[in-house]
Amino acid sequence: MAQRTVLPLRDRIGSITSGTLAWAYAALLVIPFYYFIVSSFKTNEEIFESPLALPTSIDLSNFTTAIEQADLGLAVANSALTTLAALVLTLLLALPASFALARATGRAGKIVENVFALGFLIPSFAALFPTFLLAAALGLFHTRTFVVFLLPATALPLSIVILTSFMRTIPRELEEAASMDGASSLQVLRQVYLPICVPGIATVLLLNFLSFWNAYLYPLILIGPDTAQRTIQVALPTLKVDAGTDYGVLMAGTLFTLLPVYLVYTLLQRQMQRALLSGAVKG
Amino acid sequence: MTHGISRRTLLGAAISGGIITPLLAGCGALVPASSGPGALTVHTQISGAVAGAQTFSDVVAAYQRDTARRVALLKNGSDLPIVFETSTLAGKEADVAIVNMMGRTLAWTRLGATVDVGGYLDDWGLRDLIIPEALQEWTDEEGRLRAFPFTRTNWPVSFNTALLEEAGVGIPKTSDELIAAADALRSKGIGPVTVGGSDWSGQKMFLQVMQGFLTEDEARTVFSTGKISETPGAIAGVEHFVELRDAGVFVDNVQGYTSDSELTQFNTRKAAIVPAMSSALALVPAERAAEVTVGGWPKPSSGGVLDHPSVIKSYNGHGIWISENGRKKLDLVKPFVQHLYSPEVTDRFILESGRDMSRVTDTVSKDFPLVAQASRLKDTEVSAVMLPDLLIPDAVFEPMIQATALAYGSASAERIIDAFEKAYQAV
Repeated sequence: MAQRTVLPLRDRIGSITSGTLAWAYAALLVIPFYYFIVSSFKTNEEIFESPLALPTSIDLSNFTTAIEQADLGLAVANSALTTLAALVLTLLLALPASFALARATGRAGKIVENVFALGFLIPSFAALFPTFLLAAALGLFHTRTFVVFLLPATALPLSIVILTSFMRTIPRELEEAASMDGASSLQVLRQVYLPICVPGIATVLLLNFLSFWNAYLYPLILIGPDTAQRTIQVALPTLKVDAGTDYGVLMAGTLFTLLPVYLVYTLLQRQMQRALLSGAVKG
Repeated sequence: MTHGISRRTLLGAAISGGIITPLLAGCGALVPASSGPGALTVHTQISGAVAGAQTFSDVVAAYQRDTARRVALLKNGSDLPIVFETSTLAGKEADVAIVNMMGRTLAWTRLGATVDVGGYLDDWGLRDLIIPEALQEWTDEEGRLRAFPFTRTNWPVSFNTALLEEAGVGIPKTSDELIAAADALRSKGIGPVTVGGSDWSGQKMFLQVMQGFLTEDEARTVFSTGKISETPGAIAGVEHFVELRDAGVFVDNVQGYTSDSELTQFNTRKAAIVPAMSSALALVPAERAAEVTVGGWPKPSSGGVLDHPSVIKSYNGHGIWISENGRKKLDLVKPFVQHLYSPEVTDRFILESGRDMSRVTDTVSKDFPLVAQASRLKDTEVSAVMLPDLLIPDAVFEPMIQATALAYGSASAERIIDAFEKAYQAV
């Protein structure tokens, strides 16, 4: 029979403390989420009377009301359209750029990489007015097209930093071997770098998906209020009124908009964790 | 090493995205409604969960069916003004905006973003249809009619008579009666007056109490300049508010409440009295409405200027504004606006949504009893006081709410006056 290793007292205290803190943190996250879910099945009176109680019935009427009142179906389609197109464009631009930067050895590469990093210094709010002027000048104001081009521009600094550092961990010998076999640069990217970079790509996809899906100010101003075009974050606030907001409906509407986020997170989280872990191991 | 997502999957996702994107873009529902020629674009705040949103959508749909004219509805909530303004800068604003007159929108006509609609009143046969006081309220100091007044607001006080009876008191008409009623309610474990101490609803209440000691002219001066300390009536009003607060007239922790929580407290019988605007009264459930009587805020027992309990009366609901783009399409705007003022349409708003309208009408809400009660209040029962929103400078609005939130705490009258006046110094 295997003997159990007894941890020293200091380690046990540390383990209990960290475990307690981890559970407390989890509770901090779970309780609001629980409140949020149960409230979407309740009336205002039930929400304010007994906030943490379970709903008396699983009635989906709050969801249907929210979807009807704020045209959430169309809004989700618009958000999906803009987010998907912007994600594809981001990857199409960030992957070759990161590949080139990861392989660059000269000063020029370093300078270009720093230029991309400068993008972090621009507060998004400060760029709103020039961006608005650009959209108007291009004749793309109140279109989804402009936002599809704009979102990748805002996401490129982070995407390139992540992907470049990920690609730098790939041994040069792999690329040299492929080149000796006659592979072109594009083939090296597609057949050597991309398969190894999948966790990094997933990380970029997940982070950008969250950012694109949740974007409010730019879509509000640049896409505008047309129900046929507006995104979910622009449609959702119409469920809030000056007096007498139905919080059950508002919570249901918000929950509805979070479902795609949850699905994408579930799909990509393992890859993202792998990317973070590999980054931690490789330093 | 295996990965959850293969390169093939990723490529597949990218290709699918490339295919789905144009497919989705081709969907009819996702084609901008405002893109077609000959369409009238209407940017409206009567949307989403706002009372009357469904009625408005139905009215517009019926108008399109009956006239074969196209109307593109653009919808926003409180963010409508900023969206309209940026659209105006790009020359792509909607032809018509339906929004209330507050903050940013007050400057629209002066700055040329919207047109003076006064000239169309007679041409379009609307002058006799709209309540004259409403036209007056929507006219700026230069005599320009900013927009056609469409909906309006009554701001009475609702009393749960069943709870008052339980406490052995009637509806208070004076401040002394209010204090006595608050004591009686508290002794039964019932909250007296609930209000959103932390937001605009608390601000309105505070300013309404203050108006108990101000003539209309004095009120105009005080609300436009913020100089309470130079007006004895305003000082008396603040002191009266502090007296009521310290006597326990407001529910506990009122400083933290909002316009939403005040209604919920009232609807769940946690509090017996609530000041609420008519669109909010439409949301009181029938079961609660059955035990509620609508009236005014108790007048000061001594020293005030009011003959009766006070009610805020305002014609500042949603107005129908015409933009510069709309001016170029008056042939489309005119029949649409005329249709909105038809008796059938205004009746639908009153009967289906419980809205108060700025159109002259005898129709009274049937399914919204509290709205109906409020609209039947007579001048012999209540004294009207103003909604000061038009006088308060835009930049003062938020700082003033912080000052009035302070008033619901434990601040002295001097400190409240100081905070109130400082709010105006930012301008």
